[in-house]
Amino acid sequence: MANYVYSSSPHIKSPRTTRRIMIDVCIALLPACLAGCILYGTANVAFPQYGWLSFMHLAICCISSVASEWIFLLCCKKPFKQILRDFDFTSLVTGLLIGMNLYPTSKWYVGVLASVFAVVVVKMLFGGTGKNIVNPAIAGRIFAFIAFGAAFGGSMYYVNMASGASQAFPSPVTGGEVMAGATPLQALFNAKYTNTLTNVDLFLGTGVPGTIGETCKLALIAGGIYLVVRGVLNFRWPLVYIATTGVVSVLIALIGGATFGEAVKVFLPSILSGGLILGAIFMATDYVTTPNTKLGNYIYFVLLGVLTAVLRKAVKGEAVSFVILLGNLLVPLFDLAIRRKPFGYVKPERKPRPKKVKGDRTVSDEKVIAKEGE
Amino acid sequence: MKTFRGGFHVPDNKALTAEASVELMPVVTDYYVSLAQHIGKPAQPVVNVGDEVVEGQLIAQASSFVSANIHSPVCGEVVEIVKRKNAQGGVADCVHIRSNGKQDKFTLPPLTDPTPQQIVERIAEAGIVGMGGAGFPTAVKLQPKDAVDTLIINAAECEPYLNCDNRLMIERTREFLAGVRLIARAINVTNVYIGIEANKPEAYAKLLEQDGVIPDTKDALANRQDNDIVVVLLKKKYPQGAEKTLIKACVNREVPVGGLPAAVGCIVDNVGTAYAVWDAVVNGNTLHKRLMTVSGRGIKTPKNIEVAVGTLLSAIVELCGGLDDNAVKLVSGGPMMGFSLMDLDVCTTKTDSGFLALTDKEASTVLPTPCINCGRCASVCPMRLMPMYIDFYTTVGDTENAVKYGALNCFECGTCAYVCPAKRPIVQSVRLTKQKAKEKK
Repeated sequence: MANYVYSSSPHIKSPRTTRRIMIDVCIALLPACLAGCILYGTANVAFPQYGWLSFMHLAICCISSVASEWIFLLCCKKPFKQILRDFDFTSLVTGLLIGMNLYPTSKWYVGVLASVFAVVVVKMLFGGTGKNIVNPAIAGRIFAFIAFGAAFGGSMYYVNMASGASQAFPSPVTGGEVMAGATPLQALFNAKYTNTLTNVDLFLGTGVPGTIGETCKLALIAGGIYLVVRGVLNFRWPLVYIATTGVVSVLIALIGGATFGEAVKVFLPSILSGGLILGAIFMATDYVTTPNTKLGNYIYFVLLGVLTAVLRKAVKGEAVSFVILLGNLLVPLFDLAIRRKPFGYVKPERKPRPKKVKGDRTVSDEKVIAKEGE
Repeated sequence: MKTFRGGFHVPDNKALTAEASVELMPVVTDYYVSLAQHIGKPAQPVVNVGDEVVEGQLIAQASSFVSANIHSPVCGEVVEIVKRKNAQGGVADCVHIRSNGKQDKFTLPPLTDPTPQQIVERIAEAGIVGMGGAGFPTAVKLQPKDAVDTLIINAAECEPYLNCDNRLMIERTREFLAGVRLIARAINVTNVYIGIEANKPEAYAKLLEQDGVIPDTKDALANRQDNDIVVVLLKKKYPQGAEKTLIKACVNREVPVGGLPAAVGCIVDNVGTAYAVWDAVVNGNTLHKRLMTVSGRGIKTPKNIEVAVGTLLSAIVELCGGLDDNAVKLVSGGPMMGFSLMDLDVCTTKTDSGFLALTDKEASTVLPTPCINCGRCASVCPMRLMPMYIDFYTTVGDTENAVKYGALNCFECGTCAYVCPAKRPIVQSVRLTKQKAKEKK
């Protein structure tokens, strides 16, 4: 007699699995990775090795992320066969994202340590897939940014930009000359830098300095569209986040005394610069670290947008990753505060307030008095 | 097209048997008629071992208000009364009847122009229960405590694979509509809707051909006569045929949490039930047969058949050419809310709308992985619950919080577990919590 599978209903299930979702995310990240390597490899004739360095960073991060997950599980005495069977590609996504958040000039060990930190400390120690409190890739990026300074490459660049010098990071603009107002973001906030990049440059990532994965918005958006088509990503959330950032940036410019015409010009550069689009499509929308209700998600992404615009203005630089980290930490509160009303919800009748008797004493007071008297 | 909030388009796989005309199941030797085929107390047997019975004869009587009569499916001899496992995994007393090949049939006197009271009495006498799956005694349902102004016939048949209601509406349209009118008369309402999912165009067209049936359009509704039945075309979406979502879609009323449809003035009955009512009133037939879809890619020739209650599944599968070797799962009922079976040694009941043999490709046998909090379960939940929390709290043994997140409001449609990418056994969690909450009380 054949043995039949015996289980609770439903007996059919959708073909979508966690692994498939994560593979889709990896596929969606590939165009941006590729674009980053090509842009860095071709933008600066003086530094053609930047393309290969970019690729190397991505590969190192992927390998060290996956390897650190497997080693962690092996240390937990999980058989290797089972590890392979249960491998869900989340660590590969984390690795890719960390690689995309590095600069070609970063030291090689930065990616390794950031990946190990992201996977082991942020994800595995909290219980593995689905149990992490903050997005591992965001945490890894911030870890590298804070811990390594010069070795991170870009951090020097950002810090120096704020103080007006940009020697630490050779500009990838063709010809090899050092560009003063390197990120258009700073040009937006600081009159000292003149923005030499057009919106089209920003969109395509040509001649735009930045991390490996964040410069080519076209590739990022293409990846985002792929995810929306595959039903992995809800197009609303990145849109809400990006649009809010743009609108609030315009409002900030208006408050700062700009005329309406000038302020509106801030809109496109503010959404096309920095890591906003990468963060909004791939990092802020991580399932694990977003609220579980529609209303919660709307509030969450609007909040991220507002915070991003305000913090960018305040620190005169990129703030997306810190904002997402902060948002991630608030998510449990959203889920505590916002609960769905079930179908056919009936508002419970309010209990009538205790009637006042004898001056200021209420009925319950009377009871207390009676008890005490016993 | 009308519908409700939430739900999911589950591939319906109805094409396997959508065109298959209903076949009559020939008489077999052994029948095991369960005494607990309905919600409520099991029926009390009125025959003894060794008695000879004829088809349609009463063999067990309703033992309380919420219970139903049971009738013999065949002419034969009562061999024994034994305990057998049923499709739900429980154990019930069954009357074992061995057929003797005679053709006699017991019928009640047909009623012409019956009063509401007479119809309800006849329904009780004929042992009619809700044939959609729950098996609530229809006579009890038709005597609600609240005032009722609307009758909705559930022709959505949103469960994938199943086609028995669809075929019944196509092949026995007049009888079905006459049954609907009889139920409407029994509860004295004129506002009658038939809710049908858009994936049954043939049945929809067939219904509209009949007199006194109008579509759910503005023009038609403006010229509505007093006794017109409105056929509402509903969006193809699971679980469109659940009582509460059907009421929401057809008449836009929300049944309050923990309430019955009668609380919003509605009574919902299944297509099969309406037909059984017609058969009992006009022909005097007791309920001992029903339509059943035998489907799935693990069955050699999928069919729609009319089976006598109590037939063993093994006999039915034999009629359909047997099981394929690649069948990995046997299901009684639909794939979303049906019950998994260990083997074919199970007797059919009045509520069995289908039997499925699913292959590895159809049935999901993937092991669950950790929840990734994607929120799909919440976005498809027709009851607007948050299944991820119910599953989480059940897993950690916190019944109180699982109940807080609405485990008791869940009607186990399984849409959440269907869409879950982590393949969490959410419905199982809900059942566990319900059981634990019951024990606590």
